[in-house]
Amino acid sequence: MSLLRTLAARLFAAFPWLTKRWLAAHPQAVEADVPWTPLRRPLAECTLVVITTGGVHLADQAPFDMTDPDGDPSFRVLLEDAPATSLRITHDYYDTRDARRDLNLVYPVERLRELVAAGRLAGLARAHVGLMGHVDGPHVATLRARTAPAVAELVRGLPADVALLVPA
Amino acid sequence: MRPPRTLFLRWPFGHALGEPGARAQQLSVLCLALDVLERARTPGEIVDAPWAWRRETYADPLRGSGPPLRSP
Repeated sequence: MSLLRTLAARLFAAFPWLTKRWLAAHPQAVEADVPWTPLRRPLAECTLVVITTGGVHLADQAPFDMTDPDGDPSFRVLLEDAPATSLRITHDYYDTRDARRDLNLVYPVERLRELVAAGRLAGLARAHVGLMGHVDGPHVATLRARTAPAVAELVRGLPADVALLVPA
Repeated sequence: MRPPRTLFLRWPFGHALGEPGARAQQLSVLCLALDVLERARTPGEIVDAPWAWRRETYADPLRGSGPPLRSP
């Protein structure tokens, strides 16, 4: 991680109001229409998939590309039964120190398993999805045209009824 | 991007679920997110979480003292 990125990530963590200023200066991609699928059954009968942008991946998967200043629009498949010790974070654009101490901050599968045990959800999907949230420049088009449809197809086939998107 | 339903937390990057080891806080966020999923009726609806960063006490939602786990 570069020193500048580390410094910026820690400043944003220490002063949340900086986020608002940064977002105002860096307009984000906005979709014209909001996709909407009604919840068709009680949550207690639903299977949930987690989609995290926290840079989470398995140790034996290629880490996200930190050398490209425009980021990395690819995704990783995170098997539901992967032990916590097999998971890694590669993401230079937020302060990852707390998330490395407790992965639930950006990938809350342990807490979700508790909600399944309590009957709030029927279960978790057999796999989840890991992305790295810094995607800029030409990679935004790739994210829309290739990554998003591929993730949607994956989720459809898992299967999963509902998706929890966790930003970092 | 414009997700169909959003729970917004004015918390630092990298802390979507709160603080490390704070199980009750993390469960509270997830329970509220699931409530939003069940209750939202308008595409693009954004619900502001009622919690300030590091100035709250969280009851364990699974112990019956926090928001009730509603049956279907």
